[in-house]
Amino acid sequence: MLELQVIQYRGFHNIVEDGEVVGFQVCVRSDYYRGVWLSQLRPGKLIVDGVTYAKEQVIWEINGKDYTVDELAQASNDFWCITDVATLKVMQKGGLAQGFHDVSVRFAASCSYMPPFLDIFDENGDENSFNGGTYTREKMIIV
Amino acid sequence: MTNKIKRGVAIYSYSGEYGRSMNLEDCFKDMYDMGATGIEILANSHIDSYPELSDDYLAEWNRLCQKYNIEPAEYGHWIDTRLYKDRDMSLEEAREKLINDFKIANKLGFKILRTKMGVINGELAPVENWREIIKSVLPEAEKYDVIMCPEIHLTTVLADQFVQDYVDFIEETGTKNFGLNIDLSVFQNRFDVPGVVVFNPDSKHSLPEEIIPLLPYVKCIHAKFNKMDDDFNELTIPYPEVLKILKEHGWEGYLLSEYEGEKKDVPGFVSQELRKHHVMMKRILGH
Repeated sequence: MLELQVIQYRGFHNIVEDGEVVGFQVCVRSDYYRGVWLSQLRPGKLIVDGVTYAKEQVIWEINGKDYTVDELAQASNDFWCITDVATLKVMQKGGLAQGFHDVSVRFAASCSYMPPFLDIFDENGDENSFNGGTYTREKMIIV
Repeated sequence: MTNKIKRGVAIYSYSGEYGRSMNLEDCFKDMYDMGATGIEILANSHIDSYPELSDDYLAEWNRLCQKYNIEPAEYGHWIDTRLYKDRDMSLEEAREKLINDFKIANKLGFKILRTKMGVINGELAPVENWREIIKSVLPEAEKYDVIMCPEIHLTTVLADQFVQDYVDFIEETGTKNFGLNIDLSVFQNRFDVPGVVVFNPDSKHSLPEEIIPLLPYVKCIHAKFNKMDDDFNELTIPYPEVLKILKEHGWEGYLLSEYEGEKKDVPGFVSQELRKHHVMMKRILGH
């Protein structure tokens, strides 16, 4: 089952390829009550220990498949179920250091059956929308 | 006359716990405790192989319905018109997704669909081309034996023009595959109860008797509730009056409990509220 918080402890680790640390990943669950088509997603910034990663630097892995944010925007037949996590991956040589990290993830999804103004979402802003916002979890541990 | 009003649960009610502290079978178990006999699922929430229907899910679905004596009452799905950031969904895209839902609903045993359309304003008026979208799939709806029902929900009230537009559409087309789902939020007349937060700036609402002319088109009812007291009364919606009208007019169908109050993510909280709600409905309905 999923953890109650949007940002999950499970799945937080550095990414190792051929014995080298090439990046890191963090898993999120949806904060919505229903799944969404991937093109409904509105990815925003990712912040780790005060360092902001623009949405273009983040790869979203859903159902075992990697998507850039541009690919997500067109993936209208692929679906993110609410019982599955999305894995956000940042390719950064050396990954994150061992120890504690504060992580914030910002995203939303469109919701066509609510009044259009509720859908407005600033990917780099700080306020919440009807169906999204910035989620933060502190003291996440890299082993 | 036999009373044909039945009690069920929209498992949207468990959305604060689903996938975290409750799985699908837990929802069925809880419903069985209440004597609920019908379920509403949301396709986009409760089918873990969506937008496909896997053989595993279908087998598990049939097992749960049989074991807990629960029948498929309503299948919630969406026409997500704002599918893309920069353009509206096309008619052909809407058709494809609708027909996929018809097929899944049919295999799972659902005949009534709660079809949520995209809206264009704060009064929740549907997209301008809703008639075109619905008309284009009526033959497939007939083939798969499903009835699409838009949900009438605050801040919409029964007197709004587009509710009449839906009725006119049914009469003009003569279709048996389009109807209405009334959400009892439209009758909410108390807005000052602590802990109840509902977006309805003008406090507008319908009177119970306004449902009478719509009843021939009402295929399913969302028994919305916000706050139960410990004497088993709902504090914001005039349940006794509304249910009395349904009984007197011989309405047949499901009252599906839909909890929309606070503390949905507190484990066990919604289960208790649903039990209170079913005590109330059982007392009023007499069964």
